[in-house]
Amino acid sequence: MTDFSIRSDNVDVEQIMRQIRARIREKRGVDYTEEEIRELANVKLEKFLDPRGVRSDLLEQFRRKREASLPPNFKFEDTTLFETHRGLLAFIRRLLRPVLKLFFNPNPLIDALHIQSKLNAQQAALEPLYYEVIHNLVLETTRLGIDVKNLKMRVESMSSRLDFDERRARALEGVVQYRPGAVPPLQPPSGGGDSRAPESAEQSERRNRRRRRRGRRRPEERTGGRSGQGAQGAQGALGAQGAQGALGAQGALGAGGTPMSEGGEAEPIGEQSDDRDDRGLTPVHRDTDGEPSES
Amino acid sequence: MKLAVAVQRYGADINGGAELHARYIAERLARHAEVEVVTTCARDYVTWRNERPEGVDQVNGIPVRRFPVTHERDPNHFGRQSRRVFDQPHSIADEIAWLESEGPASPAMIDYLERSASKLDFILLFSYRYYHAWHGARRVPAKALLVPTAERDPAIGLGIFGATFRSVRAVMYNSHEERAMIQAATRNEEVPGVVVGIGSEIPARTDGERFRRKHNVRKPFAIYVGRIDENKGCKELFDFFLRYANTFPRGLDLVLIGSAIMPIPQHPRIHHLGFLPDEDKFDAIAASDLLIMPSYFESLSMVALEAWALGRPVLANGRCDVLKGQCIRSAAGLYYERYEEFAETLYALESNGPLHARLGRNGRDYFTQHYTWPVIERKYLDMFDQLKREDASGARRPVESLGGWLARRQRNQRPAAEVLTKIPSNAVVPGSGAAENLSRSA
Repeated sequence: MTDFSIRSDNVDVEQIMRQIRARIREKRGVDYTEEEIRELANVKLEKFLDPRGVRSDLLEQFRRKREASLPPNFKFEDTTLFETHRGLLAFIRRLLRPVLKLFFNPNPLIDALHIQSKLNAQQAALEPLYYEVIHNLVLETTRLGIDVKNLKMRVESMSSRLDFDERRARALEGVVQYRPGAVPPLQPPSGGGDSRAPESAEQSERRNRRRRRRGRRRPEERTGGRSGQGAQGAQGALGAQGAQGALGAQGALGAGGTPMSEGGEAEPIGEQSDDRDDRGLTPVHRDTDGEPSES
Repeated sequence: MKLAVAVQRYGADINGGAELHARYIAERLARHAEVEVVTTCARDYVTWRNERPEGVDQVNGIPVRRFPVTHERDPNHFGRQSRRVFDQPHSIADEIAWLESEGPASPAMIDYLERSASKLDFILLFSYRYYHAWHGARRVPAKALLVPTAERDPAIGLGIFGATFRSVRAVMYNSHEERAMIQAATRNEEVPGVVVGIGSEIPARTDGERFRRKHNVRKPFAIYVGRIDENKGCKELFDFFLRYANTFPRGLDLVLIGSAIMPIPQHPRIHHLGFLPDEDKFDAIAASDLLIMPSYFESLSMVALEAWALGRPVLANGRCDVLKGQCIRSAAGLYYERYEEFAETLYALESNGPLHARLGRNGRDYFTQHYTWPVIERKYLDMFDQLKREDASGARRPVESLGGWLARRQRNQRPAAEVLTKIPSNAVVPGSGAAENLSRSA
């Protein structure tokens, strides 16, 4: 749903309506004008495609009508007009055919009827196909109608959920106050006595972050032909624990103690490190030789 | 100054439309002039049956002279005549026959107006589409001021009304949109006109809590006031509101005030309270969060003005030019044309407190600036003064002839519905092409 911030005494209703319409367009993807909707409604085809407009007994009616109303077809050849089972009559007709042609020419009539007979036969052959097409159309239209109904319900449901979430988000945003110093502090090193401990922990954290970034940038390094580096990275994460004792442990687990994933990567810690960057700290990248460099 | 107010029916019990408008104006102008109301004996606007006694009566201290209607309206005949003039090419005679069938036909009333014209300064004719206004404007054009109360319906496309609008002394419009429509239909720009509208009897004190207690309405609600009728857009309102209620289960309720002539959906968030007295009506508006006006056709929505007067924003049907224009000009309401817009605008008014408050304040300011009674009365009195100055200068507009017997029967008039489609429709807003009209009316 649309939010408006009223900043001054002047309210521009048209501007608000434009915002509302833009929002609706965003949601719907396309925004028909009233004229377009009317134009669409005038398309006759839509009436047919509307599942509510399709009669449930359409197929039955179609079949019944076809069976009841179709006259039997018959073949019509050039001799059909003069055929008879009586031999004498057939002879006389054949004899008098030239005389008949003095009065009119029956050939075009014969041709036309011949063609019509063929068309009728073709039509009869097509009708089962029509029946099948209509049958399938009715089925598909009904299915689509049901789908549309389901989708409409889902959209309504999603819309209300989305609205609820938006309202909730707004409410939470109103409650939470941003404080730059609210970043969870790093834990102090557990192995006391080392004066370099805090700095080393931070360095270790950065190192870990760098490793994870490199790991993300080049995932093939962890598994592919450059597995040596991957192993090294893993060793770094694990080996720190052995080589640097408590310091290394802090580097691996200090920012949350999250267990490392396969291959020695501590993904969740990396997420936290990224969070710190997002909160305004200058991101620091290190070159491969370990020197920090501003990105 | 002596004035006559001519209207199709009149009475203290008529609570809406042009008749109430006429009564308010008559009662207000009676403070500045001697006013007599001239009307019919009809009470029912469908049949025009003579139900009130003929002669002179008093309503709220105003003398009311009633004349009988010669025939009741035959709905079938009127329907046939309407189809002929609205949908088919027809003649002037057909249009006059349509006017006769529409009613309320009262030749005695017109004769009286003509007889008494010499004693009157001006005659205010209400509702251009009725018998008394058309005949009155033709018989006493030199004294006639027309209050058209025109809506966007095909009647405005009839040829006989063009001459009426061009021959009266002045036209008192209800809204900028009405004026734009009439001028486009009748080319009467030369006739003096002013957008006046009407004020309302807003009580000095309203008590929303009293309404809530009395009618046991606890939750926040939007209100609709008026006849619950499909023609007023209520069907669409119910459809939209039910969908909205489904989407927002904890949103506003809908309270309906007015008599119902269509079924009202049974829903726990829709409350129909029937017809209420004015005090309850104003309390209800004061208790509401906003007013919804779903009507497609309005020449001026008094209830919208009342809501604005009480500092309540309005959610109007954007397909009604007048309501849309008023929302924009007042910056005191939003409008919708389809469900998505209805849901978004209603939600915005429901959830955005600063927007709601700002629109409400704007509404109050808009009402104070344009629709309080001193403003309305001043506009009428200024127009009378202007016309008197014109009288002194001797300028007159002749009444247009409708042609002879034969000319009136030629089928040369286009279907009124077709004429209406050619008339541009849009809200008149500052900064648009119609801004000139706005500045002129101001």
